[in-house]
Amino acid sequence: MSDAPRWREDFPILWDEDHYVTRRELAKFLTLGSGTIVAATVGVAVIGDRLRPQGKGERVRIEGAEAVPRNGSLLFTYPTPEDPCILVRRADGTLVAYSQVCTHLSCAVVHRPAEDELFCPCHQGHFDCSDGRPSGGPPSRRLPRVQLESSADGIFAVGIEV
Amino acid sequence: METGRQGTTLFTAICLLIAVLVIIQLWLLGAALDAALSGEPRLAIPASIASAVLFAINAGLLWYVFDFDRRRRRVDPDA
Repeated sequence: MSDAPRWREDFPILWDEDHYVTRRELAKFLTLGSGTIVAATVGVAVIGDRLRPQGKGERVRIEGAEAVPRNGSLLFTYPTPEDPCILVRRADGTLVAYSQVCTHLSCAVVHRPAEDELFCPCHQGHFDCSDGRPSGGPPSRRLPRVQLESSADGIFAVGIEV
Repeated sequence: METGRQGTTLFTAICLLIAVLVIIQLWLLGAALDAALSGEPRLAIPASIASAVLFAINAGLLWYVFDFDRRRRRVDPDA
């Protein structure tokens, strides 16, 4: 009769053997993972242009936009109440609007009229007011731009340009 | 003729090489995702091609390991 305890009949695999992974198995898992990464990268390439909203959206009036003075700014939300945006009237009178969410770690950017830039106080990120591109600090992607339309009824946000 | 000692060294090197290639693939995936989120999804196409090439190299290395084992067993059936 065997000296092994009775529970061993129900659990015949030793703990050490259960956790033993050979180099061949490791190579197999890594290659399988490699294939998965290829599929994910191809997926990003295929659906990449659909990852962010782009183009024409809902037409929403920006309340008080006409009253914004030169070098002034106004906060609003677009396209949903959970998407903060900032409208800026630059020194030359042109109106631009961007998402207020920093592309680095999602802090809220603020307008700095003296530097004609949008500034993220969390990690000292700087964005150019003219096109929303990062001009300093950690952000590497530009701020999504809100497309504006001006009419006799007021100033409207009509879409997001990534 | 392939020996067990040759195999030990070789397979460790192959495992390390595959791991390095997988890390490069992860970097490519991150770069592709970053480009797509920046509104430039076309950059993901060369990243996909490069990633597929690395996967082919990994598959080739894995095939070499199993082929090595087969040849060894042919010489020594108890191996």
